[in-house]
Amino acid sequence: MSALAALRTGLDVCLVGQREAKQALLVGLIARQHVYLEGPPGCGKSQLARALAQLSGASSAEPLVHRDLRAEDLLGEARLERERDGERERLRQRRAPLPLLAAELWLLDGITRAPGAALAPLMRALAERRALGRALPLECALATAGVPEQETAAEPLEPAWLDRFPLQVRMTGLIAAGELEAARSVLDGEPAPPLAAVLAGPTRGRLQRAAAQLPLSRDVARAWLALLEALAERLDPELAQRLSDRALLAAAPAVFRAHALLRGAPRVELEDLAAARLLLARRIPAEQQEELEQVLDAAAHARVPSVAPAADAGRSGSPGAGSGASQSAAPGSAARYGSAPLPQPARPASPDRADVLPLLRALEGEWARGRRGLREDPSGAPRGQRRLRALDEILDADPLETWLYAEGSWPGLPHAWRRQRRGSGAVALLRDVSASMEGRLSVWAGQVIAGLVRSARRSGLRVGYVEFAHEALCFRDGGRFFHRRYSRVLAQAARRRAAGRTSYEAPLRAALDELRRAPDPLRHVVLLTDGLPVAGDPEVRVERALARRLRVRVHTVFVGLGTCPEVLDRLSAETGGLAFLARPDQGGRIRVQTRTSRPELESCMNV
Amino acid sequence: MHERLKALRELLDRHVVGHEDPKRALLLGLICREHVYLEGPPGTAKTRMAELVARGSGSRFFFHQLHRDTRLADLVGDVVLERRRLEAGEGETISQRIEPGGVLTAEVCVLDDISRAPGEALNVLLRVLEERRFGHERLPLLCAVATGNPAGDEYYNEPLDPANLDRFALQLRVGSLLQSRQLDAARALLDGFARGQVEERPEVEPVLERADLDAVHAALARVEVPGPVKDALLELLRRLVVDHGCGEASALLTDRSFLVKSVKLLRGQALLCARERVLAEDLQVLSLMTTFRVPEEVHAAVPELIASVS
Repeated sequence: MSALAALRTGLDVCLVGQREAKQALLVGLIARQHVYLEGPPGCGKSQLARALAQLSGASSAEPLVHRDLRAEDLLGEARLERERDGERERLRQRRAPLPLLAAELWLLDGITRAPGAALAPLMRALAERRALGRALPLECALATAGVPEQETAAEPLEPAWLDRFPLQVRMTGLIAAGELEAARSVLDGEPAPPLAAVLAGPTRGRLQRAAAQLPLSRDVARAWLALLEALAERLDPELAQRLSDRALLAAAPAVFRAHALLRGAPRVELEDLAAARLLLARRIPAEQQEELEQVLDAAAHARVPSVAPAADAGRSGSPGAGSGASQSAAPGSAARYGSAPLPQPARPASPDRADVLPLLRALEGEWARGRRGLREDPSGAPRGQRRLRALDEILDADPLETWLYAEGSWPGLPHAWRRQRRGSGAVALLRDVSASMEGRLSVWAGQVIAGLVRSARRSGLRVGYVEFAHEALCFRDGGRFFHRRYSRVLAQAARRRAAGRTSYEAPLRAALDELRRAPDPLRHVVLLTDGLPVAGDPEVRVERALARRLRVRVHTVFVGLGTCPEVLDRLSAETGGLAFLARPDQGGRIRVQTRTSRPELESCMNV
Repeated sequence: MHERLKALRELLDRHVVGHEDPKRALLLGLICREHVYLEGPPGTAKTRMAELVARGSGSRFFFHQLHRDTRLADLVGDVVLERRRLEAGEGETISQRIEPGGVLTAEVCVLDDISRAPGEALNVLLRVLEERRFGHERLPLLCAVATGNPAGDEYYNEPLDPANLDRFALQLRVGSLLQSRQLDAARALLDGFARGQVEERPEVEPVLERADLDAVHAALARVEVPGPVKDALLELLRRLVVDHGCGEASALLTDRSFLVKSVKLLRGQALLCARERVLAEDLQVLSLMTTFRVPEEVHAAVPELIASVS
């Protein structure tokens, strides 16, 4: 096993800390499973992946992933073949395979920067391990990506594609994680020497085969199933869907075997279920990590009794204790743990991102409608391709295809880059910070605001931010109310304060005054409140009329247990905005639903 | 060697008045081989300084004014199509590749107004800068200097994505002399023009050779970073994260920038001061890294913070 130790040492030399990511890479290499590393810039994702490629001695390929990537760049360049057949000439397009297809290790660095159209054939190749009609020597693909919330110019992988990477790790920088001792050793570190392969090709193959042949007992398999069952019970149904069969049933055994091999065990034992973290941790959102920890804990404690029947006398660390329990765990009986009563999980006090999502999606949909301006999208977001539709797109067209098209040997029109339309609009976010808006509600409101700011950033909308109680406080950037300094708003929204009574008039008036001057064709207001208006005009008549006149859409979100004041419904209905109700449930989570419009309101609108 | 660096600095001083921080950042960028981002309103000598450093260091130099319609080919070279007959059969292969040029062959490049045209090629460009490779080719690039106007409606641009900004180790705001209250410098500039002593586009002779830059780079690794300085750096980071809330969500204190590149810059600063050992006072150079990585008010407090930890 010295080769494995050398591999591990090599990774440690290359990067300090990040134990879990290193483990995932090693397991991925041995188990021949794909690995996905996600983390903020500069935490060592790419460095680790490259180091593994070097150390493993496998042939590797790293295509340069960027937003203009084409499928041809990944899989093979176009090759046109002409064949004469008597009078006729036949043109056939083939691909000449690129080095990527011959590589054993694929490094897909910054995968979210590529357009989906280019990745589609790659993702297929990745899952099937076949491409262009032949089997690939691919052992594992190592993908790295930034954190979706922090990247504006990226396209997160679709869940279905992400699932093709059974091993997924979310990394955090040492500074951000507060691991200052590790940080110190980075500072002390000498520049890493160039890495050399420590595993020869045959050794790697031998290790992979050895891992594949490690016995995995029924007990372990059952324990794993029970663990998954327990987890599925505790997760929200929507999240439970993420526990895919491909990753958690098909790939998991290989992962456990690799884990066992890495620690030098002769067979897969219950403690190898620890590798479940590599499969599960990123699939489960931060808010429910606690559930995951509990289930894994429970699994760890059940270790002794379940291991005993395997009659593994040689193993230390399972001193006698469990013999009585082991008899009850006869083969064939129901799984031992997972069915045990687990303590009711303390629901996390922090709000669940999943609860904010429906709200954000609906609102984002609203302003996406405004993406009709003819301005080109200057952002670095991945672009797709489509067939040329107008001649002025010819500069954006694929040169090769255009050439062939001009020559008359390209069937159909060439592909051109898709230019995204860029939203041009402004949204004012009005957040209630009156005295009642505290604790959980405030955290939740902060999260809604943060989500809205990010979605505005994606849509290219300018934002204005107002906090209000009985008075409204507009946060300006260099004197401008609407601006694109999204991070400033995010920083402000993360602060919490709660004081004063509620007025709807003050914030609406402030926002509408600004919107009156805004040239944007698309103007939105989002009013987030938990209270009844006790200051200013409770009916906000002037502001409602003004909003109608300016064609500003006012979306209202009422949060809390009280009754939603009718005036909010009126505001939304009259201006064509959306209306939401967010209520805390018994578990302490905040659930969002759409407020149904009231028929009497609609009738009065018609008058 | 230090004399040569000093000559470059003097060259900068001769042609540009004031702007202490940008000048230092550009020199550091050149000797530490890190990229520099300068943001400021038009007419603040951003491009002039970048160009002077590039020409004065005698490097292979590439300048590009980015604009709304900049295409990848303008920056990395032309896209060429190659057509080859297949040996067997009657087919032919047609392939597409890039003839390296521009950024791919330069040692120092100046990308002017990068925020004006984050269009077409920017994403690819920034990746190339970061990785310093294109396809499988290593680039000879030492240092890229990007300039940009402040994000705002009047300049028709967009702020760079934070992850992209992180690729520029050194980043700072450049204000006009008047705005940043460098009144003596402003007077000197005015006097110079009034007396007609300033050439509009002076010819610049290189004062450094490539071998000098290599020697400096080799010397960089030999500069000693004493333990207390490292402790102070960590304490600074700790205070930023814990006391000023610069966590993952609101700031960009990445390991790569602040544990790896920062040490390089500290060493560079020591070399610029003709020392072989980093002193606590060199930590001030870190304030050239935090400009766009932490919230503005925290950045304003960084010099003070550095003073208190060192």
